[in-house]
Amino acid sequence: MGLDRLMAAAAVSAVFAAAGCGHGGSRPTRLLDGRPALSFTPVRASVVAAGRVLTRSELGRRLDACISAADRAKVAPGTIVVERVSVAGESLTFANRDRSGVFACDAGIDPAGERAPPWCHAVFGELADGRVLDPRLDVICRDRERHPLAYVFVDPVPGARWVGVQQHDYVELYEVLGGLPVRLATTSGIDVEQARARLEMTQYDAEGRELVRGELEATVAG
Amino acid sequence: MRSFIALLVAGFALSGVPGAQAYHRFWAGCNYDAPTFMTTMTRDAAQDYANAARYEGYQWGGGCWNYDDVDSYPNDPPQVAGTHGEGGDCSGLTFKTWRESTDTWRDGRYYWHALRNVHGPYDAAAFRDGTGAPNHTVAKATAGVMDAFASATHIGMVFVRSLYGGDQIVEAKCEACGTNIFYRTYRGDSAYGGVGRWGWTG
Repeated sequence: MGLDRLMAAAAVSAVFAAAGCGHGGSRPTRLLDGRPALSFTPVRASVVAAGRVLTRSELGRRLDACISAADRAKVAPGTIVVERVSVAGESLTFANRDRSGVFACDAGIDPAGERAPPWCHAVFGELADGRVLDPRLDVICRDRERHPLAYVFVDPVPGARWVGVQQHDYVELYEVLGGLPVRLATTSGIDVEQARARLEMTQYDAEGRELVRGELEATVAG
Repeated sequence: MRSFIALLVAGFALSGVPGAQAYHRFWAGCNYDAPTFMTTMTRDAAQDYANAARYEGYQWGGGCWNYDDVDSYPNDPPQVAGTHGEGGDCSGLTFKTWRESTDTWRDGRYYWHALRNVHGPYDAAAFRDGTGAPNHTVAKATAGVMDAFASATHIGMVFVRSLYGGDQIVEAKCEACGTNIFYRTYRGDSAYGGVGRWGWTG
């Protein structure tokens, strides 16, 4: 849904990026699942992560495989689920029945080899007025090259349509969807030894105007 | 210039506050030393280790404490990491007590000194799910000393089993309650699952 709206918006021109098209030396041309990586013209050297809104029933076993039986009972069948696929990661985000908390399923390789792909970890964050109290950093997963892959929640500021995270040579953009915190994946700024991540974040409005920029320092906690 | 001098005087005055001194002394002692690889790990020793962390406070995402039986930096804001407060949080205390590695695929035994600031990669939900090579789920009915009960948001270790439904649990519970041993009924609470550590040697 997210990408569809992006492509339809007249004010926003999304273009397919071909390899070596001048958006930056090593800007990825494909997302994790192989689909072409779009860019968002107002944001230089950007890659748009795919996002869509589904319901739990539509996802079926895909969601059930990720969370424990006890947690499954806390999620209603019609619950909205935001599915995201980025360059290195993939996630599901959804709230519990009373919206007191939000779950995220994080995809990647489990270095301990205990969890079957795609999911390597699931997290839960408490919500206060719809905002997560903590980014719920996950540093357990690895990407396909077995490099550290981290996930965090980001609360969008009012008016934000896109949350951008600076990766090595590009800005990865995540659309704000489903009224939920944005679960984003990164391969930059991760300190596995200290269970910490430091991310450069920027939030944009629908036209790509910068609303807020800053550094997010997240720690595994709780 | 006047405001600078005023701030300077205020700074000196504040630095004389005992609490501030305790905090600065405490945090200056925290370190990032490598852990010591151990060949043994007994439940008795784990009890001693967790017991010694009592009264040392609670810090969200934290993992550094000394042994002066005082929270050197109490009342820091809940669910805010990086305030350099004293104590572990629930999963940090469990990680250090269970002598785990920061690499989830390692199941060896790594002794972390109290002042080694480390939390580890697991949150409470990860422990509950038995994530990581050293961890596994156990039936709650059979959970014994220094096994643990974990939910999506909290984990506490069994210090002493009780016959009557509850257990004495050693846990880093919250900023206000700190790290201590409490009587809890996690064993009978459906939100909690049983968790264990592989590799006890006694």
